Amino acid sequence: MKKIKYIAAFILCIMSASCKKYLNEIPQGAISTADLSTPANADAMVIAAYSYLGNDHYFFPFSSMWAYGSIRSGDAYKGGGGSGDIFEFNEYETFSTNNVTNGSTDNVWYQLYVGVARANSALAIINNLSVAQYPNKVERQAELRFLRGHFYFLLKILFKNIPWIDEIIPKSNYNTISNVALTSDQVWTNIANDFAFAASNLPVTQSQVGRATQGAAQAYEAKTLLYQAYTQDVNNNVISIDKTKLATVNTLCDAVINSGKYSLTPDFANNFLPQDGNSTESVFSIEYSINDGTPQGRVDAGHCLDYPMDVEYGCCGFHVPSNNMVNAFKTDNNGLPELTTFNNNDIVPSGDYQTNSFDPRLDHTVAIPGHPYKYQTNLVYNASWARAPQSYGPMLSMKEVVGYTDPSFKRFPPFMSSSKDWEVIRYSDVLLMKAEALIQMGQESTALPLINMVRQRAMNSTALLVQANGTPTSNYHMDIYKPGVNCTWTNAYAFQALMFERRLEFAMEGYRFFDLVRWGIAADYLNSYFAVETTRTPHLAGAQFTKNRDEYLPISQNQINFSKGLYKQNPGW
Amino acid sequence: MRKLLLFCSLLLMIAARGYSQTRTVSGTVSDDKNAPIPAVTVQVVGTTKAALTDVNGKFSIQADNGQSLKFSYIGLKTQTIKITGSTANLKVTLELDNSALSEVVVTGYTSERKKDLTGAVSVVNIADIQDIPAGNPMKALQGMVPGMTIFADGSPNGAVTVRLRGTTTLNDNDPLYIIDGIPTQRGLQEINQNDVESIQVLRDASAASIYGSRAAAGVIIVTTKKGKKGVQRIDFDASTSLQFYNSKISTLNTQQHGQAYWQAAVNDDEFGPNVSNPIDPSVSNGIYTYNWNKNYTNPQLTSVNVPTYIDGAHTMLAANTNWFNQISQNSVLQQYNLSISNGSDKGSSLFSLGYFDNQGIIKETRDTKYNARFNSDYSLFNGRVKIGENFSATYMKDPILPVGSITILSIIENPMIPVHTVDGGWGGPVAGMDDRDNPVRLIEDNKQNVNAFGRVFGNAYIDLAILPNLHFKSTYSVDFAGNYFRSLQLPYVAGFLSNPANQVGQSTDYEVTLSWQNQLTYDLNFGKNKLNFLLGEENIKDKYQNFNASAQGLALNTIDYAYLSAGTSNVLAAGGGSGDALLSYFAKANYSYNDKYLASVTVRRDGSSKFGTNNQYAVFPAASLGWRLSQEDFMKAIPVISDLKLRYGYGQTGNQNIANNATYTLYQSIYATDLTWNPSAGSAYDINGKGSGTLPSGFTSVQTGNPNLKWETTTQSNFGLDFGLFNNKLSGSFDYFIKNTTNILINPPYLAVLGEGGNQWLNGASMENRGFEALLSYKSKIAKDITLGLTGNIAAYKNKVTKLPSNVLTGYPGNGTTQTILGRSINSEYGYVVQDIFSSASEVANSAAQPGKGLGRIRYADLNGDGVIDQNDQKFLGTSDPNFTYGLNTTVSYRDLSLSFFFQGVQGGLVYNNYKYLTDFSSLAPGSNWGTRTLDAWTPQNPKSTIPALTLINANNEGRYSTYFLESASYLKLRDVQLSYSLKNVFPKLKLQRAKVYIQGSNLIRFKNSSFTGPDPENPYNAYPIPAVTTIGVNFSY
Repeated sequence: MKKIKYIAAFILCIMSASCKKYLNEIPQGAISTADLSTPANADAMVIAAYSYLGNDHYFFPFSSMWAYGSIRSGDAYKGGGGSGDIFEFNEYETFSTNNVTNGSTDNVWYQLYVGVARANSALAIINNLSVAQYPNKVERQAELRFLRGHFYFLLKILFKNIPWIDEIIPKSNYNTISNVALTSDQVWTNIANDFAFAASNLPVTQSQVGRATQGAAQAYEAKTLLYQAYTQDVNNNVISIDKTKLATVNTLCDAVINSGKYSLTPDFANNFLPQDGNSTESVFSIEYSINDGTPQGRVDAGHCLDYPMDVEYGCCGFHVPSNNMVNAFKTDNNGLPELTTFNNNDIVPSGDYQTNSFDPRLDHTVAIPGHPYKYQTNLVYNASWARAPQSYGPMLSMKEVVGYTDPSFKRFPPFMSSSKDWEVIRYSDVLLMKAEALIQMGQESTALPLINMVRQRAMNSTALLVQANGTPTSNYHMDIYKPGVNCTWTNAYAFQALMFERRLEFAMEGYRFFDLVRWGIAADYLNSYFAVETTRTPHLAGAQFTKNRDEYLPISQNQINFSKGLYKQNPGW
Repeated sequence: MRKLLLFCSLLLMIAARGYSQTRTVSGTVSDDKNAPIPAVTVQVVGTTKAALTDVNGKFSIQADNGQSLKFSYIGLKTQTIKITGSTANLKVTLELDNSALSEVVVTGYTSERKKDLTGAVSVVNIADIQDIPAGNPMKALQGMVPGMTIFADGSPNGAVTVRLRGTTTLNDNDPLYIIDGIPTQRGLQEINQNDVESIQVLRDASAASIYGSRAAAGVIIVTTKKGKKGVQRIDFDASTSLQFYNSKISTLNTQQHGQAYWQAAVNDDEFGPNVSNPIDPSVSNGIYTYNWNKNYTNPQLTSVNVPTYIDGAHTMLAANTNWFNQISQNSVLQQYNLSISNGSDKGSSLFSLGYFDNQGIIKETRDTKYNARFNSDYSLFNGRVKIGENFSATYMKDPILPVGSITILSIIENPMIPVHTVDGGWGGPVAGMDDRDNPVRLIEDNKQNVNAFGRVFGNAYIDLAILPNLHFKSTYSVDFAGNYFRSLQLPYVAGFLSNPANQVGQSTDYEVTLSWQNQLTYDLNFGKNKLNFLLGEENIKDKYQNFNASAQGLALNTIDYAYLSAGTSNVLAAGGGSGDALLSYFAKANYSYNDKYLASVTVRRDGSSKFGTNNQYAVFPAASLGWRLSQEDFMKAIPVISDLKLRYGYGQTGNQNIANNATYTLYQSIYATDLTWNPSAGSAYDINGKGSGTLPSGFTSVQTGNPNLKWETTTQSNFGLDFGLFNNKLSGSFDYFIKNTTNILINPPYLAVLGEGGNQWLNGASMENRGFEALLSYKSKIAKDITLGLTGNIAAYKNKVTKLPSNVLTGYPGNGTTQTILGRSINSEYGYVVQDIFSSASEVANSAAQPGKGLGRIRYADLNGDGVIDQNDQKFLGTSDPNFTYGLNTTVSYRDLSLSFFFQGVQGGLVYNNYKYLTDFSSLAPGSNWGTRTLDAWTPQNPKSTIPALTLINANNEGRYSTYFLESASYLKLRDVQLSYSLKNVFPKLKLQRAKVYIQGSNLIRFKNSSFTGPDPENPYNAYPIPAVTTIGVNFSY
């Protein structure tokens, strides 16, 4: 009996031995919010916000915006293996089939808000640190507001009506902030304020070149105000132009210009070659890297579909210049663009780049059969490198790609890309923004030298455009605008010239569509483009731009549902 | 705790009675043919005293007058004989037990007689599956247990997906396996199929509830073989199988592909998007040229010309490659098992070795498996103490090939591409073709990349008989499983695809689960009352860690050289870990009165580290009742009824299968992530603009914690009926169940403005399943020497989502607002309805506005009648849930010859036929190869076709989710057919206990609904194809 008692006691002991502590499992390899509030970790959070600039992907390329601003503008076709290959982009390109459930639309919205959230998380931590604890406090706040401004700017030009969330709003209240709580104009002002704060608190030069500078903030503030100046009604019609804002644009551009820090690079190519990153022309760039401790590098994944299909590359033939855009590079006898007649004669079927004359920027921008690919005279682009020539023709885009022997080139099969930096704002953009503001303020003659500066550099940029035997790749004939000699520089003509110059200078760089919307001409421009281009390429069958709707993407149905109807759909959708 | 003490002392008092005088009783046990039966258990009822009969059926045992002896042997009816003063030299005859009602069934932590069961428990007849070479006993069980659905592909390692009573939750629906008493969620392909003694499937909650927080998706109890008392035995089993690929898709050959391309191009020219600007297919194709009449309004093809070389560099001769033939093989599967067992009063042991080798029907996918097991127990102190252990070790090797890519590539890859170039390199795509790799290259260049998996799983236990009826058992178990994978990525060129870099990858991980179980059991019999009590405690700790690294710049491209240290550039490493813990208490009481009225109550309290301190513990109760009507006097009067039992069970079970740290808000230092298919979640940035070198990096928000998180709970009611008629010749069971899962753990999509880490686990959804399961068996001697056995089962269920937070509805089929999944099956399909194909210009002109419409194109139904086809013209199209599933097993035996065949089927339900993108369309992947179905596509001359006109431009968005791709999932397969012959009587001198030769076939015959256009509705995606298998094998026991 005694034995039994001992045994029972032993058993009871075992059965009640376990205690609360047994269920304590500490998360492994993770850090809590509280642990982040140190100056060192705050600094790391700023880096995390920067890193989101380049964290995009081919399905929502927000670093360059090519899927949103280039293939919706008449400058480019989607490309790839046929219209079904990323059908979401085909919906963008043709407009008529675009809809509120397009996955890329939902994704890009989410991704850009991740960028906003990274900036806000870092700001929330830094706001609670004193300057004594964290001497860089204000400068880092300025950088973060610059980054937040950048992500909001992209959201704004894509979606127009967006919820504004800053670091003050607690996360638990996010579901109470509607996308129409602020007017479109108020959101512009908030974005401009972020850049203005950044401009006042950032140094002119940063020792770490990836960080935002005063010049970058001023240029971005100018860009924001330029968009805001073209006032839209609720149905996206441009109803007036705010001269006061244009004057500020002019002032801000002057500040950038007068800082003396920036200049146009000698050759247009310098902006698109990996070794020339962070040049004098770069006002703000996204930094990419390779051999950086990751297998694939922190490379430019947003452009990873844009390489040709030959064995040196092998994927995936997206982002194809349109015939219309190639025609725009033709020049007349005076070396000026054919502002109104360029598209009357289609150069692509004949492939004759010697009889006609061209702006040299053509061969920096477009991969053309028989022309060296990306300045590699030993690697001549062939029509067979196009992915689906029966749908999209033989061309490809070149600014975003690099030579396959370049050290920045990286494969991550089946894709590839490079660590070449991507310029968000180039100095030539600052010059042309100023020119645009001036023309709209009636000062077209002050604008003329700015446009001509851009053209002069383009004219000079032929050194790399040669065939293996040293002959020029195409017949380049280009001149600056010379009023009274080769043109009559009226205000209307100047604005035409400005619009055309932006197209040629920034072709395939991702923002053309947003220019068209800003100017209020998207519907007319694109529908006339479709009328002609449909006869050249079958994939545009049925394409049509619906005025007062297609200026902006719809708010994704997902987001409207997740907000339980708090978000309101954009007009027309 | 006080209650526990009270309970224990109560037990002690009851047991504190003395023993009385004993004497020796002996006798002989034989069967109905008067042949002695060895190894019959002879037990003194109410004690632990037991003996076994010897080879001559003789036994002797110590017992008192007035006590009873129970004689039991599996498959025979148990007999109880009371000992009187005059009892001497007993002669006992045991009869065959058709219903096997006395069979002991392992349920929760204890075992019960089958006739006492009140829950819905299926006992698998291991004999039915032991010779099926599936590599996983669960795979062989497909269709055998009503209510249990097995989804399996043909992969050689035998992995399966098991669902009990439909979809229980939106999370992990895998059942809990209990192997020799120890819970695990690892699949059974990791243990030796031949070591399995029994499998019990606990379908309802009253049976499963004792397993508490992990039992919601059902529990499967597996017991491995033990040595049998008084028996020394050697078993040897061997089989060899041939496997065949019988689900190839019919793809175009080089000529046909050229013809289809021409048709697509001239369709576009004649009435498609190129009508205003026709292009000669010879010009647009670039590879094929055509002799045709160049008449764009009435095109006629004379011949398709294939160039000698398909590339400009003349390295690839135009071929006519059948890629399915290139990747597949007829192959051999071998199994060998040897086991030796021994048993005596002092203990028993079993030792087994197994070898499984499946070469797979896709080349180089060979799986090899080595198993060893040692189970033993020792009886000490006159049977008062028993200690034992179960130990198994597994080693498994699998080459890691991108199998899904390989099967889909066999359709995509153009037939014109040769496997090899003229100089022996790899053939690959050229301009105009899709950027997809040569599947033969994928096989050959990855075959050296072998994953090695090892697992040791063992437990040791001690069972103390404190009193004859009061047992304490303590079991400690260690389950260690780990992978080691080393891979070499070879540089290659295949057409325009290439990668010049080599890379070695090495990864290891391990998972270790330590568990300790303690339990007290007490049996109490008085009068006609039988009571069993169980009280238990269990704690489980689980830990997982992994490490992986890679390096590039290897001097040699061989796997023997490919170690991390050989890498000279980009040496990278990563690793992580996680853990969780469970602490549980449980109790169970079974009561039966006169074998007539049965009741069972269980309760379990579980604590889990996965939940916040507010909700860390939960209680899972269950109760069930049974009434054996056949024991009632008024029923005994009906002679046809040999057994009839009504059952009702109610119980709750839980699910906690979510990420380990879901209650915490966390950031991680994520430097970078793989870019290939997803955006980076990294936080490193080249802030110095150097372009390379180690980067500063930050933190990425990964989740929002929810401290109020708790279990999801499944509440189930089960109504059951078991019956046996005509002396149990005909027997069966029927179960109806209602299963409600509430507080389903979901991690829903969230408002984007929250950014990264906005994901949060919530208890948000509810779901209901109702259904029935029926089983009917007939077993009889239909003539002299001929026995017939038939077992059929049928099961059906309906699933319904009953609650979802409104903002997450968009994550499920439906439009998120007016048409939602609420009230519908979670497996619902939603999309467009195909009306027909536009076959005249007037139809095109007069139908609803549909971007991209045209002759030969699909006309989608204007469901809302607004004259425009848009996203509002979608509806619920049906579900992938079958109407019912069924199985039929037939066995006919004539003397030593036995023939069995097993049919299994699924009736109803829709399947989304993924392959149709490529078999029916030239426009969804214009650069790939297509199916031969494209040759029968719509043309003005073939207006009856249901396949839309070939085109190269998908202007009509025909890849949209529509009824075009939804086909009938019904099938009926002859899963298993077997002919065996027992040689036992051929070599009587060898004293073989078992000697059998057999031939067996799996998946030999397949019937499907004609509306399914692919080869196998069971495998509509590009999973590993299911082979047909023919086997020859032997089983010997000495």
